[in-house]
Amino acid sequence: MSDIILHIAGLSKSYSGIKALDHVQLTLKKGEVHALMGENGAGKSTFMKILVGLVKPDSGEIVLEGKRLEHNDVNAILKKGISMIHQEILIIPELTVAQNIFLGREKEITGSRTGWLNDENIVAKATSLLQEMGVDIAADIRMRYLSVAQMQMVEIAKAISNDAKVIIMDEPTSAISDKEVATLFRIIRELKNKGVAIIYISHKMDEIFEIADTITVLRDGKYIATKKAAELDNGSLIAMMVGREIDKMFPEPVAEKGKVVLGVKNLSKKGKFSDISFEVHAGEILGISGLMGAGRTEIAQAIYGLAPADSGIVQINGQEVFIKSPRDAVNFGIGYVSEDRKSLGFIPELSVKQNVTLASLSEHRRGIFISNESEDKAANRIIADLKIKTSGGGQKVTHLSGGNQQKVVIGKVLLSSPQVIILDEPTRGVDVGAKFEIYKLISNLTANGIAVIMISSELPEILGMSDRIMVLSKGIQTAMLTRQEATQELIMKYSVQ
Amino acid sequence: MENRLATKFRNVGQYGIFLAFALICLGLALSTPKFFTLSNLMIIGTQVSINALLAFGVTFVIITGGIDLSLGSMVAVAGVLTATFAHPDTYPVIVPIFAGLAGGLILGAFNGLVITKSKVPPFIVTLGTMTIGRGLALILSKGRPISNLSDTFNFIGGGTIFGIPFPIVILILAFIGCSVILNKTILGRYMYAVGGNEPAARASGIRVNRVKMWVYTICGLLSAMGGILLTSRITTGQPNAGAGFELDAIAAAIIGGTSTSGGTGTMTGTLIGALLIGVISNSLDLLNVTSYYQQVVMGAIIIGAVVLDSMGKEKGV
Amino acid sequence: MKLNSIYAFVLFAAVLTSCNQAKTNESGKESADKKLVIGATMLSMQNEFVVNVSDQMEAKAKELGVELITVDAERSALKQVEQVESFIAQGVDAIVMNPCEVEASSPAVKLAMDAKIPIINVNSETTAKPTAFVGSDDTESARIAMKYIVEKLGGKGNVIMMHGYMGQAAQIKRDKGAKEILKANPGLTLLAEQSGEWDRAKAMSLTENWIQSFGPKINAIFAQNDEMGLGVVKALEAAGLKNKIIVVSIDAIPDALQAVKKGALDATVYQNAKQQGGTAIETAVKAAKGSTFEKEVLIPFQLVTKENLGAFLK
Repeated sequence: MSDIILHIAGLSKSYSGIKALDHVQLTLKKGEVHALMGENGAGKSTFMKILVGLVKPDSGEIVLEGKRLEHNDVNAILKKGISMIHQEILIIPELTVAQNIFLGREKEITGSRTGWLNDENIVAKATSLLQEMGVDIAADIRMRYLSVAQMQMVEIAKAISNDAKVIIMDEPTSAISDKEVATLFRIIRELKNKGVAIIYISHKMDEIFEIADTITVLRDGKYIATKKAAELDNGSLIAMMVGREIDKMFPEPVAEKGKVVLGVKNLSKKGKFSDISFEVHAGEILGISGLMGAGRTEIAQAIYGLAPADSGIVQINGQEVFIKSPRDAVNFGIGYVSEDRKSLGFIPELSVKQNVTLASLSEHRRGIFISNESEDKAANRIIADLKIKTSGGGQKVTHLSGGNQQKVVIGKVLLSSPQVIILDEPTRGVDVGAKFEIYKLISNLTANGIAVIMISSELPEILGMSDRIMVLSKGIQTAMLTRQEATQELIMKYSVQ
Repeated sequence: MENRLATKFRNVGQYGIFLAFALICLGLALSTPKFFTLSNLMIIGTQVSINALLAFGVTFVIITGGIDLSLGSMVAVAGVLTATFAHPDTYPVIVPIFAGLAGGLILGAFNGLVITKSKVPPFIVTLGTMTIGRGLALILSKGRPISNLSDTFNFIGGGTIFGIPFPIVILILAFIGCSVILNKTILGRYMYAVGGNEPAARASGIRVNRVKMWVYTICGLLSAMGGILLTSRITTGQPNAGAGFELDAIAAAIIGGTSTSGGTGTMTGTLIGALLIGVISNSLDLLNVTSYYQQVVMGAIIIGAVVLDSMGKEKGV
Repeated sequence: MKLNSIYAFVLFAAVLTSCNQAKTNESGKESADKKLVIGATMLSMQNEFVVNVSDQMEAKAKELGVELITVDAERSALKQVEQVESFIAQGVDAIVMNPCEVEASSPAVKLAMDAKIPIINVNSETTAKPTAFVGSDDTESARIAMKYIVEKLGGKGNVIMMHGYMGQAAQIKRDKGAKEILKANPGLTLLAEQSGEWDRAKAMSLTENWIQSFGPKINAIFAQNDEMGLGVVKALEAAGLKNKIIVVSIDAIPDALQAVKKGALDATVYQNAKQQGGTAIETAVKAAKGSTFEKEVLIPFQLVTKENLGAFLK
């Protein structure tokens, strides 16, 4: 028997005449972790949607264990052994862990013919499943009490319980901490040993090289190459993905620093962070680093008025200010780009133009009316400045790629003419090419005298961009490092202090 | 390119209701010669006017992701208040109009205030206001209809300008006004923003509560206009008027493509929705179909419209 | 915190019980005077006719020196039954019920009869037989209205009938009465019939649409109540057809009388709310005292036209 479990060839799919996938191929072996790489818009998600039966391909074949998969529905494919762990985890928060794992299969699992539920049976089965995985989650608690990482484990448990032969993981580490990533990788390795094949989608290079055996790269809907992970390095992989070498990822920092724009003194919020003090100068980038739950986002949201602090002082240009709502913050010249751009960044129903001008609409007014010319001018300027790729200002934001959506959110903040911008995970879920552009953009901001606070979980990013780095651990400020002294090891040391 | 195509597709979906409306009108015109006459169209316009006013109001509310069930009661309160001051030879006609509008304004603002301050879902708050409003209307009128209204006042619902019934004139003005608010003002943009993604709107510095206050107040005012129109049309202020009007208004908005989850909707769509309801009930009367069947037909159309709308949207994506 | 609220609750309960005691003492004292108590449950205090009946009952009770407790059933038969239950529990001497529904309000009658408390139905009937019935026969009202139309049209012409809420006792009976007369006069054609749901605005829209359908072919419109009749008149006036079409309705509410005075409404049928209310209380008092009373009092309807209007206008 061949150890090839899944073979895909000549897969194509067009949307209204535009090719989203063009003769894509992939061969997956038993017990293999196969990374699927490509910029956003390269066709990865269409590819995976076809694989799990959400989208019908125009042509091509998918062969699972020597048998051609006819394109049937999601359920049939699930039964045949292909499971997907979605980036936005699909669970029902009010049901228990066990109920979620066996959702839709209650009859077969409990052997009940009548439709009566047997919860004890389900809980017992789920408990043994979770134990086997070595995960410490009670099977009978409600899903909504779990962390994102735990929910992910439940999803994996669900896939295992489905006898999955192939598990697709879409950006599984985008919302979990480093420690949780370690657990995830341990489980992936165990699955591997059991012969389960994994298709792993991620933008994080270091992870790919740690876990993947094989890497397939897509670009613009086309298959580029499949290589052993060991044959590649960071630079050559990026070159394959973007089609050119990126010699310098991070732009040079601006030499000139101005006066202090934002000053924070003894900022505290019960249970979140305490006694945080720092200053940011015009033209400076202050990086904030720390593990998940260290209080980074909470500090940002306190300064921005989304969740005000209990005590402490915030100063703008040396003047103490009281910020109780985002509106106050905007008025004092503070901009905030949230880590969660879907829920706090943009309005899906509005167009690109309407989104970028949302925070500064009052500048484009004639009485109570909106001045169209003025709004269009501002929107077109920012779309051009930030190189947002759209078919026009009237396009809906939801139709843009992650990187361009992020630019829309940054553009919105920029149009409200801030003196300080807080960027919370500005490159999360953004592909390599767009990352580079966002770094350039941030550098341009500082060149224009804007003070930048950048929160990031990616150490290379923090080290490459920041003038100074504040490290947090459990809500406490543990270090303030200069660009010169900061290293990955030092930051990690203070992060776990 | 791709996106332009997609947009076009979506637009077809959006205008599906337009198409359906045109087809239904065509069918009716062919089945009875009495349908497509100027006088019948005027009558449809007049009959639609009250529901359309309420539907415009509730469209604003639904766009922000809310709902208002107190429309019918606000109609009654405004109607009773306006009738109280509209007896012949008492006050100039502006007084009853202002009294009626004030009633709607106060109840609408009350809705907005409670919803923004208490965080209780709009469904529940306005359900309460619905009952409070009905009670107030009964108290203000002592449970009896208020009649004997002045001729000037009765012109609002019964008069004509250049042969056009005055209710139609009000309808057109309200339509233009509401469309302008929704499309051309900052407030209108903010309504879409709040309904589309409230946390993001708040994070953008929009005063979400203020937007909601406005929306419910405007809705109250439009309901009051409906109440004044109704009172003038039947020349009586009735405390039990307007019962169930909220459902017709919400139906019109939904038929017109306003999404109950917020963030989308247009006044043109709502107007078509209201006209569709009016045309159907008018033509079924013309065809002498009993009211039992009318209700079945109406329900089928509401469901059909929403199905059509969601199908159009799927195609567009 | 919690202790405080418990304490407050206990205090509140104590006050409440002491109040109750005071009350029972009071009623104990009063029972010597033996003031009769009558409980009345009315169909809907949002309905003008019902309010008129109720007002007259109030006046009559005062005149006879009995205590009257009036409650509103808000058109809910269930609520009405519950209200009668609580009257029985309170030990009233007699009950007056203005029934919500023919069938669904019947249990209330049975409950009262079982508890040996006299119950008088006013204005409309229930399937269960009460101690006494005071009201008018709805069928007769429609006969009177339709006969007027026959007379005015000389027995020939096209008639339209507007129904109330389909399936309600009044609608069924008025429909029956009107159809009897139509059958007896083959010269009359029923062009159309439709429900206006007792509502003025609905009736107006419906009439507008009828005008589009039939135009001047219509000779007369019979509306089953005045609210609808007034809506019909509004629509006809707007279309300039009023003086060509005869409109008759039932109830003789003040608005309708005004319309008859102006000549807008040709006739209405007077259902004597005052007499119904007054007689109901009189009957209840007699039944409670054990004196003799009539088991069924039918208050006659009267046709109201411009000629005899004076007698009905206050």
